[in-house]
Amino acid sequence: MYYVADVKESDCAKYNCKQCVLFCPEPNTLMYHDSKHVAWVNYSRCKGCAICVYVCSDLLKRNCIEMVMVTTGD
Amino acid sequence: MGLEYVRISPGFEKYMPKDYVDLVQYGQFGKEIDVQQLGQFKELVEEHPMCAGCFMAYFVRVFYASLPKPEDTIVIGTAGCARLALSQAAVPFIYGNYGDTNAVASGLKRALSIRFPDKEKDVVVIAGDGGLIDIGFGMTMHSWFRREKFTTIMVDNEVYGNTGGQESGMSPRGVQLKMAPKGKQFDKINAVELAKVAGCVYVAKLAPTNPKRIAKTVRRAILAARHFGPTFIHAYTSCNIEYSIPTEKVLEDARKREKQDFGFYEWMTDEVKEFFEELERKPEEVKA
Ligand SMILES: Cc1ncc(C[n+]2csc(CCOP(=O)(O)OP(=O)(O)O)c2C)c(N)n1
Ligand code: SF4
Ligand code: SF4
Ligand code: SF4
Ligand SMILES: [Mg+2]
Repeated sequence: MYYVADVKESDCAKYNCKQCVLFCPEPNTLMYHDSKHVAWVNYSRCKGCAICVYVCSDLLKRNCIEMVMVTTGD
Repeated sequence: MGLEYVRISPGFEKYMPKDYVDLVQYGQFGKEIDVQQLGQFKELVEEHPMCAGCFMAYFVRVFYASLPKPEDTIVIGTAGCARLALSQAAVPFIYGNYGDTNAVASGLKRALSIRFPDKEKDVVVIAGDGGLIDIGFGMTMHSWFRREKFTTIMVDNEVYGNTGGQESGMSPRGVQLKMAPKGKQFDKINAVELAKVAGCVYVAKLAPTNPKRIAKTVRRAILAARHFGPTFIHAYTSCNIEYSIPTEKVLEDARKREKQDFGFYEWMTDEVKEFFEELERKPEEVKA
């Protein structure tokens, strides 16, 4: 089991935003979908730091990312 | 390298690793990428073992996305945390012995200009506060005295992070670290002023709170080094492990330090200023 970020897609889609993507320390991990205009997480690369949650919830007050536990293979 | 080395020979696409094919098809090579496009292209840097939430790793990520010409860039690093990510990118990486980075870069840059007289090859050193301002101090300063044409970037986490928490010349006065239990007795070294006095033509200091600004600074430092002389960036890149910063507060800490003592600072010679005024003038103006 490990800890990763998960974007609530329908909430994020309201904003056309992308700010969290620009602050993730990991490359090719927190991505942005061109046509759906939502952020999404490549779980196997996420290290669970929650900097993206700070950006979305604390700075922007949008609350569209949560940290979740996943099991290998999820 | 150069673009011809990056391209996959026809018919070989299906034998190449997917990450490499993605890099050629959706990556930065041969394109002008805007750092705001992060998350929408395949980045040069790959998975690496730096700690979760490390802002030095974040700086390295933005650094690679900012390169004006990745296919003609060589990165030099050394012992210390940054090389753990620097070496995991599709850009040639040389490991200089600890303290030697700026001597290695001097020789390399000179050799490249002899071997490729009509090509622009960018050389960038990225190393820690310990590597550049303590143990590599002499090499760093002398590369600046000699006006060697490459960029030096100090990723300053104010500690020897990779070896478990010794104080460096860049640790702030009074700070207590695992292997500095009495608290540091001396002031933080003013690296930016040293760089100016020693002959750098472009000098900047920043905290990584704004990717667009990091990109512009990195680009300017590389272009100024290409044409004029040594350039230096002093970047605050916290060590959340040695400074016990909870990972979700790492950006908050960078914003706090930016207000305190890492406000954006940029200085350049008049010659370099004129160069950028010309280069960065809006395309319409240039046409008119
Ligand atoms: C010649 C030599 N001396 C000492 C070391 C041990 N060493 C490895 S990393 C390091 C300190 C790293 O501190 P810094 O340069 O600030 O980089 P950081 O890990 O903090 O990013 C030291 C002393 C070494 N590898 N080589
Ligand atoms: S910061 Fe929040 S709203 Fe903005 S892109 Fe990220 S998840 Fe979506
Ligand atoms: S938790 Fe950290 S590593 Fe994972 S997506 Fe968010 S910022 Fe990136
Ligand atoms: S020890 Fe500190 S500087 Fe090194 S990777 Fe970990 S958080 Fe980053
Ligand atoms: Mg250090």
